[in-house]
Amino acid sequence: MLRKLPHQTRGSHRFPPVGILICALLFPLSLFPLLLFPTTVASAREGAREGALADETLNMPRRGWNLRGQAPQSIGPPLRRMTQREYAYALRDLLQIDEDAAILISESLPPEADAGGFDTMADSQGVSALHIRSYLEAANRALDTALVLGTRPESLERKIDYSQGLMTYFALSETFGLGVVKMLDDAAVQFDGAVCTYTMDSERNYVPILQEGRYKVTLDGYRHQADSLVVMTLFKGKTQGIVASLDELIGSWDLIDDETRVVSTEVFLQPGDLVAPCVAEADVPADDPFYRYFEANMLAKNYTGEGVAFRSMVIEGPLTDQWPSASVRGLLPGIELDDTGALLLSKTPEEHLLEIVADFAPRAFGHPVSERSIAKLTQLGLTALDEGQPFVEAVRTPLLAILTSPNFLYQIDQRAIPKDYDFAKRLAAFLWRSPPDRELLDLASQGLLQDSYHLGVQVDRMLDDPKSTRFVEDFSGQAWRLDEFRATSPSQTLFPSYNAQLGQSMEAETNLFLAALIADDLGADQLIDSDFTFVNRPLAQLYGIPEVSGQEMRRIALPPDSPRGGLITQASILKITANGTSTSPIPRGNFILEHLLGTPMPPPPAGVPGLEPDTRGSSTIREQLDLHRTNPTCNACHRSIDPPGFALESFDAVGAFRNEYRNRRLVDPSGTTPTGRSFAGIHEYKQILLEENLDQVARHLFQQMLIFATGAETESHDRDEIDVMLDRLGIDGYGIRSMIHEIVASSLFQKTSGLEAREDPPSDPARQPLGRRER
Amino acid sequence: MNWNRRMQRRTVLRAGGVALALPFLEAMRPVLGRAQQAAPVRRMLNICGTLGFHTPSWRPATAGNAYAPSEYLQILDKHRSRYTVISGLSHEDQQGRQPHNSEITWLSGARRPGMDGFTNTISIDQVAANHLGYVTRFPSLSLGSLKAQSQSYLSSGVMVPAETSPSSLFRSLFLQGSPQEVAQEMRRLTEGKSILDHLRRQRGALLKNLGGEDRYRLHKYFESVRGAERELSEMQAWVNRPKPVVGPEQPADIASAGDLIGRIRLFFNLIPLIFATDSSRVINVMMQDHSTVLDVPGTTNDQHSLSHHGLEAGKIDQLRLVETAICVAFGELLDSLHAGVEGSGSLLDSTSVLLGSNLGNANAHIAYDLPILVAGGGFAHGSHVDVGGGGNQPLSNLFVTLLQSMSVDTESFGQSTGALSWG
Repeated sequence: MLRKLPHQTRGSHRFPPVGILICALLFPLSLFPLLLFPTTVASAREGAREGALADETLNMPRRGWNLRGQAPQSIGPPLRRMTQREYAYALRDLLQIDEDAAILISESLPPEADAGGFDTMADSQGVSALHIRSYLEAANRALDTALVLGTRPESLERKIDYSQGLMTYFALSETFGLGVVKMLDDAAVQFDGAVCTYTMDSERNYVPILQEGRYKVTLDGYRHQADSLVVMTLFKGKTQGIVASLDELIGSWDLIDDETRVVSTEVFLQPGDLVAPCVAEADVPADDPFYRYFEANMLAKNYTGEGVAFRSMVIEGPLTDQWPSASVRGLLPGIELDDTGALLLSKTPEEHLLEIVADFAPRAFGHPVSERSIAKLTQLGLTALDEGQPFVEAVRTPLLAILTSPNFLYQIDQRAIPKDYDFAKRLAAFLWRSPPDRELLDLASQGLLQDSYHLGVQVDRMLDDPKSTRFVEDFSGQAWRLDEFRATSPSQTLFPSYNAQLGQSMEAETNLFLAALIADDLGADQLIDSDFTFVNRPLAQLYGIPEVSGQEMRRIALPPDSPRGGLITQASILKITANGTSTSPIPRGNFILEHLLGTPMPPPPAGVPGLEPDTRGSSTIREQLDLHRTNPTCNACHRSIDPPGFALESFDAVGAFRNEYRNRRLVDPSGTTPTGRSFAGIHEYKQILLEENLDQVARHLFQQMLIFATGAETESHDRDEIDVMLDRLGIDGYGIRSMIHEIVASSLFQKTSGLEAREDPPSDPARQPLGRRER
Repeated sequence: MNWNRRMQRRTVLRAGGVALALPFLEAMRPVLGRAQQAAPVRRMLNICGTLGFHTPSWRPATAGNAYAPSEYLQILDKHRSRYTVISGLSHEDQQGRQPHNSEITWLSGARRPGMDGFTNTISIDQVAANHLGYVTRFPSLSLGSLKAQSQSYLSSGVMVPAETSPSSLFRSLFLQGSPQEVAQEMRRLTEGKSILDHLRRQRGALLKNLGGEDRYRLHKYFESVRGAERELSEMQAWVNRPKPVVGPEQPADIASAGDLIGRIRLFFNLIPLIFATDSSRVINVMMQDHSTVLDVPGTTNDQHSLSHHGLEAGKIDQLRLVETAICVAFGELLDSLHAGVEGSGSLLDSTSVLLGSNLGNANAHIAYDLPILVAGGGFAHGSHVDVGGGGNQPLSNLFVTLLQSMSVDTESFGQSTGALSWG
């Protein structure tokens, strides 16, 4: 199951219905290049303000001037910091701790700033004393998780038998908990999801989670009073006050007949966490609404609607497949544990420290580490020993230093080290979001990594590895703003069928789709339209696709007349570009321009009053926009923004197809592109995009991947090389996997060595590298 | 103000409607030398409702002392002589990448939030915190009603994550760890310092091979290491000092995301305690979009959708219910701060309280003519000040005034053209 990495800083993600986007002034055209190619050097902007020509401004590189002020040249990716997500994955891979634990730890770092691009972009990455303190704390927490000694934790199998009143306090009396649960001989029936927040969770049934670790949760249940499908779900949450929060959906299973189903899943839990089984998609009779049973003296045993009868929940764990744990074995080579779980040293503590540091530092740094550096790191541990710290404490100090070191946190190219290692590190960061593995390091040590044959083999190996899922999710999360998916919750009044399972399926569709494009080297045209997608039963239901059963996502062929296929009509994108309640052509049009075509419109100019959004019904948004485009200055941008937005009006705020709005007015998805092509709806609009914009879509996707990979905006002097690569890619239809191969083999992804190419920009006193102090 | 009177051992202050005991002199005034000069303690509290306040319900019809309170101000009217409502302020260039991006820059005044290449600038609370340093256990606190997003930004443009759990906040402020835990914390800080010292020594070798911007970036890392070392030393000085003992018990966090009001109220209950115990002098509170229908009776839509009311009366009515509840909670906070005795005055007298929003009209995402209220802080109060200018007078000018009231020696901040004075 794809797990979503929360990304808290990515700011707010709401789109305006009309509002301030109504513009009355047009930005001077000459400034457009600045918007499209933001040179992030402050002085570049100042230069523009001082009247410098835009072209000159563009030629001011962020780096790459030589001492003689000769024409700038591409010198490869900038030094950049590990992102918050990369930090989580690095902890996961280096320390072999649970991925969920690593993600939780990484969330204590300062969030990445939303600078409009990728969090990998060096120019947008902040670093502060707060970061350094947070890295120390996070590394401490990570070592707490990894270095668990002592005897093997006892894995308990604890069962909640919902039919037993002693365990389920709501059964002590049928009115307890307002009688919202119905007791059967062998089970307790839940009819409404709200009930699970205070009745059936593990904490409330005396199975508290006391130890951090991975647990197996097994549910046993069957549907009750049902003649249609009902869903059994499992959430992870916490008790807060009198209810349990349901923070994360960790499993869902369709109950399609009256057979008992026994299902299980594994989940990472910390002390204080709980798991709660819930019912979903239970039909409620119109004449017997369940909410009445929350009232006093109303007993669920008299309710006639559908529910799930939960027989039991078994929680087994913490699961330890080996002891000492893989983390301890990996971090403390050559050290065994005795029967009590204490460390058994086979050499002097000094020798062990040296061995441990010499093993871990190169793995964490992704390159060989000099004996001198190893000795200095080891000294940190020796000092702790001298101060009387036990070995297990002393060994932490050098490990903490390694995990806070710039060699770990940054991609630094160092002269003393063959540049193959830097390359391996960059490659692993790009496709795995993590340090290189032993195979990459071996190739780097032999100087073979940049050999085109070996590189090709390695890229394929990396893309075929499950770790490439991290690239897929990180890229879709930022390039297509899937990270914002959970920013709005669709109104339950308007979209009662929307729930956590459906939302998770939507996110999964987009990630599986991108993964498939990469796996099969499918072309950029697939972003516009495709004859396949990924669905499960809930998503297929939303899409009106029959005969898909079960919660597992699978690839399906789409009928030719389906409005689905491609990225832009996926429910995830349609939901992100709505506000949870209503839709507007503007954010959707802007999404297509910015994220598919790479031609964002500037925001409406400052100081110009926007029209007050008026949804009282006197006019549709389409009529308001039609009127609006009669103003030539507004029309300059809105002639591009509105048409794709109109084509997507056929989809509601959760991405379901619609022919009419709630007020029964018919949807009009027709429009005319700025090039004068008219379309009747989404099918014809996609056709126009395929005919007119395929190269543009491919170029934008390629550039986005390049920026993500290198951490730098593309510069004007990079364009020749990009053009050559795109020409080559275009011959075979812009395959996405081929794009990745091109990127890693390009000079833009390589760091050219030598200081001479990397001196300061000559006429740029604001960027003197040193001596500039923080305010 | 009389130091001795103010600092009587076991003085019982009333704050938050609850009695609290302050057993240790040191806990109140760590730097005796400074305190004995009797420089009055200045505090700052900034509260942002990120989804705006409905203008017709917020803004009084007329300016001056004799203004008739608006619907919301009526709720606060008993404190009328203790606050000033200021209309007409904003930051320029707040059209960001996303229409709500102006919340990023509300306390910094940086331009073009979230647009390509954007880096935020320092927020007003961090200027104040830098000025004060570790004179209190926490130089500043940033609180969020739902998520770690905050409006506190360091000069490097880095966001300081917000604390969202009142219970954790209470623990770090008021619950003394066991001797073992304190010793462990001390050891971690000492260890951290030795690690940072080790890292700092690599500076020369690593920078040697780098040029241009790469060199600059790594230089920033090492500068941050040095800054962190200093901070760890300051924190060490606090570890062995006992935490203040307060009357109220540790609050339980609220699970329901719909209970915005309950969540901010838990914070609002703690703020007077934090100030009265001098645990921090700078606090930001961000009331965020909870993306769900709030537990405010009478509402069926989430606050964000309601803020986009499209002029529909039904939605505006619901929005007013939410905003009224926020104003009631804020009024209770003013009650507590006013009731909290400090020296010859109240906690409110020594605290500049800013309540407002980054949106002037959330229906249209308009980020000018912002709703702004300043309470306490020793300013002349009681009027509705309309600075005019089409709603585009620099909010940063007010920030200069607020910073100066914190004894920060500055003439400028953000987009300021001077200091704002009134009264």
